Amino acid sequence: MFRISLNKTIFLCVSFSLISLSLLAKGIKGEVKDIQGNPVPFATISSSDGKGAVADDQGRFEIQLVSSECMLQAQAMGYKTQSVVATLEEEFISIVLLEDISSLEEVVITGNFEAQSARQSVYQVRSIGRETIEKRAAGNIQEVLNTELGIRFSQDNALGGSNLEMLGMSGQNVKVLIDGVPMVGRQGVSNEININQIDINQIEKIEIIEGPMSVMYGADALAGVINIITKRGTNTQGYDISARMQEETVGNSYSAFSGAGNHIRSIQGQYRTAGPWSFGASFTQNRFGGWKGSFTGRQFEWLPKNQNIGTAFLGFQKGNWELDYSLDVLEETIFSFGPENRIENIDREFQTSRLMHRFQGRLDASEKFKASIQAAYTDYSRETVTWITNQRTAETSLSNAPNAQGSLQYNGLTVRATGLWSISKTFNLQPGIDINTENGVGDRISNNEGIQDYAFFLSSEISIKDKLRLRPGLRRAYNSAYEAPPVIPSINTKLALGKRLDLRAAYAKGFRAPSIRELYFDFFDASHSIRGNPDLRPETSHSFNTSLNLEPLEGKVFQYGAVLTGFYNEVSDQIAYSLDPTDPRITTLFNVEEFKTMGLSFNHRIRVKDWNANLGFARIGRYNRISTDSQNLPEMLFSNEFNANVDYKFKSIDTYISLFYKYTGALPGFEMVMSPDRELIPNAIQIDGFHWMDLTFRKDFGKSLQLQTGIRNLMNLTNIQSTATSGGAHGGGPQRPMGYGRSYFLGITYQLSK
Amino acid sequence: MNKLTSLKMGVTALFAAGIFTSCAEENDPIVETPPVEDAFMEINGGGSTFPNMAFVKLSNETQTTISRESWDLAFSNGSEFKVLINGTTGAMAYETDFTSFEELENDYLENLRTSGTLVLDFNNMNSILYVDDPKNPIQNGTALGTIGSSEAEASVFVYQRGNSGVEDRDWHKVKVFRSGDRYVLQFAPVSSNEVTTVEISKTQDFNFVYYSLDHGTVEVEPQKGNWDFVWTAGTSSTPFPQATNETLGYFFQDLVYHNIYGGVEAGVVMEDDIAYEEFSEPNISSITFNSNDRLTIGSSWRAGGGPNSSPAVREDRYYILKDTQGNVYKLRFLSLTTGGERGRPSLEYALVQ
Repeated sequence: MFRISLNKTIFLCVSFSLISLSLLAKGIKGEVKDIQGNPVPFATISSSDGKGAVADDQGRFEIQLVSSECMLQAQAMGYKTQSVVATLEEEFISIVLLEDISSLEEVVITGNFEAQSARQSVYQVRSIGRETIEKRAAGNIQEVLNTELGIRFSQDNALGGSNLEMLGMSGQNVKVLIDGVPMVGRQGVSNEININQIDINQIEKIEIIEGPMSVMYGADALAGVINIITKRGTNTQGYDISARMQEETVGNSYSAFSGAGNHIRSIQGQYRTAGPWSFGASFTQNRFGGWKGSFTGRQFEWLPKNQNIGTAFLGFQKGNWELDYSLDVLEETIFSFGPENRIENIDREFQTSRLMHRFQGRLDASEKFKASIQAAYTDYSRETVTWITNQRTAETSLSNAPNAQGSLQYNGLTVRATGLWSISKTFNLQPGIDINTENGVGDRISNNEGIQDYAFFLSSEISIKDKLRLRPGLRRAYNSAYEAPPVIPSINTKLALGKRLDLRAAYAKGFRAPSIRELYFDFFDASHSIRGNPDLRPETSHSFNTSLNLEPLEGKVFQYGAVLTGFYNEVSDQIAYSLDPTDPRITTLFNVEEFKTMGLSFNHRIRVKDWNANLGFARIGRYNRISTDSQNLPEMLFSNEFNANVDYKFKSIDTYISLFYKYTGALPGFEMVMSPDRELIPNAIQIDGFHWMDLTFRKDFGKSLQLQTGIRNLMNLTNIQSTATSGGAHGGGPQRPMGYGRSYFLGITYQLSK
Repeated sequence: MNKLTSLKMGVTALFAAGIFTSCAEENDPIVETPPVEDAFMEINGGGSTFPNMAFVKLSNETQTTISRESWDLAFSNGSEFKVLINGTTGAMAYETDFTSFEELENDYLENLRTSGTLVLDFNNMNSILYVDDPKNPIQNGTALGTIGSSEAEASVFVYQRGNSGVEDRDWHKVKVFRSGDRYVLQFAPVSSNEVTTVEISKTQDFNFVYYSLDHGTVEVEPQKGNWDFVWTAGTSSTPFPQATNETLGYFFQDLVYHNIYGGVEAGVVMEDDIAYEEFSEPNISSITFNSNDRLTIGSSWRAGGGPNSSPAVREDRYYILKDTQGNVYKLRFLSLTTGGERGRPSLEYALVQ
């Protein structure tokens, strides 16, 4: 054996080719694979004597060898470049490529048939990876997203839940997906999902796409999509076990391991056989002890909550086939303790249980055609249980009062089949069908036959000279409960302006379906007269998004990247509560309002040595509904947001320090009030701005042990003020809960893998 | 132990009361029974839809219940001519410009209906104009106003019979005027001009003569000396800057009116000033009693709850009631519910003098 040096090889090649050019020239076949043995499609192969080839989608290639011994170099997106020596004696050569970790982070899946380089994707996607989630030592998704630009959370402390708002649009317009499958929540499929009912420890990353994705994901993906991508098995044969435990104060209340405070325990394991099988399971317990706030007695401002979340999956991968089944189980109990009473105390529990079965299959039928199917069935129920404790006898029993015990059940079935038909390297078609059915049964839901939604969608990706990518799409849907918009179009484009600079522009029509609640929820008692409206139409929108993306230059000491985005949304037929004109005693829902949002954001990514910083600014405008009646009022009301995430790694001691900060500016608005001379006049109001800051430390002890500690809500935020005089019973009024004060945490994560 | 004994006493007292009332129905209660010393009482408001008015007499530990829907108008037996509408169902009355029923046309009524003028809720900023004064309607004003002295001058009112916590019923056209020392009532459903005319005479034993548009004269209140307060849902008011007179009429499901027209007096004591257990005869002189505001107890005995809290009894206060026989009781509310069910509050009271 002799050592190869490039110079020597070139010299050899050249000398051989001079002697006998035509005699020795020979084609050699080979394939490019990853370390699991899966083909790497479309790798480029170049030989040291100047020949080149491109592998097909099965990773197979053929290249002419001139010299008897030559160096081959293989390159592919997402992999490290690999060089091997080839000799004329070999009939077939295998090149194994290693994954390039740094570019792996830039892969996105949402909106695409398969994982795709973020730079190549026509969608501007925000990804929040495992690394960030771990640095935040988060116990739920809200704690990860609360410093993201454009996202606001509002707390419903009457029920112990929270809702999110994205880019000025309510949570009903945001579709929450788990691995691409819509989730079911208290309001039915994908409507106002309580995002905290998902196990944070199972999340690989969170992808956020702003702007409608209605062609791909149907109803409710109007403001955008949050796709939660869960962890999957190890890539190679072996196992991976991890355990996490975290203790946290809730404001200033804490007791060790149970009761007051926030207690997180989680364990998970995965195993991949040498054969086609992989499997895994996880279990997480969250115990939130609640926060009393201004209450001194039995009541809590932030209700105590118990969550048990389990998952299991089984995967099969052989040849062109990939099959995967997973099961997610959630049990949640929220405790609402009533005030102390001389005779009897009344306590309520809100019990949620959710069972989600998911099946995914994929077949790479040929070079030209790949197909995948996803099916999911979710059973969601929410029970209200009321307990009476007699203070004189100390006996506890279930309340017999009307409506004291309540239940609400939804089930949803989603079947989604998509195909990728690569007609040529520059043109593909992606057809799909999407079937969604949901049923809701509950004490206050009037009889209904459920909602069935059948849709066909087709998109196509055209690339022109690697500079321009176009992705037009169409969706045609039929819905049993309401009249679906006839055709939903969208077009996404990406233009490479330079090596590091990309421009994206998109138009899409979006729609939000009326939910089962909005259609059929009737609620009449002493203080409520609310009726659903089965004749509601969907809300529709025209939406324009654009972004300019500057990629940081890899490998430099100072790296700078930036994303500038702008958006404009025009919503028609927005569904809103209003008095029934035929019966002014009843409040019901109508397609009445026009709504608009617009805004821009500017994000910067800076990396200098061991410093890493993300700085962003956003300005979001919401339509001022009152401006239609009062000409001299601004049509749009703007609020500003600023965020900064900075982290530093002390390399010598394997310690990270991270600061997460966001300033959410005041939210302006107008309400109509009666003037002293008894006329309705507009009055400026606002919800105050607030600062949120977390400071976290992480220390690694070798590869298997991590210690996290830090301070959440460093600014000690509790309530923010609203100057509105009117407000709803659930979270309205002058005080809006935002946090429960400064909290401290200490966590440990142990990982073992082979 | 203490709790248990008081419960036992309560139960025994209830038993005794049951026997007493059943006797009372059969025999004339000629025997003067001494006033009840102390008792625990669960008010039978009928449950979560609070269908009942419950008239309570403390000294003999009785309560008389009657459906809120059982009547429409109450004709005062006092010296003045005043007629109340049924605030316990949230009824409202609208004075038209007409004096005869025939003049009221459908369009007029339809406009009135869709305008929401006769809807008792937080969207109606003028509701206070169409309901009786919640504190003292006889003294401060009623929706039907001054009762005309002749048929010709009396206005026709549109009467919305109340739909707060009860089924909605047809609107009626109503007209009341005096005829000598009697009332004359004329009414018809809004859709017809088939007028019913009745004469109503004052009687001395009751505060009011109650009249149902469906069933004629009905007995609602016990005789005026036989009740101290009534627990009922009813129309109340709250300060509200945007509303007419900065007062918004609204429906409250847990009102307690003391019997001001029968001469019962009430006052409030804060626990911080004198604890309930400590309150005894010498303290009575410090109490400001009144019999001109029936909302003295009103809605003040419980907190309304909010986004974050459930309604609850206010434990910082209790009440002193002086009945028509001169008994003085201290009384405090214990619970909004029985078995978790609203509309069944409980209270305890004790004789002070």
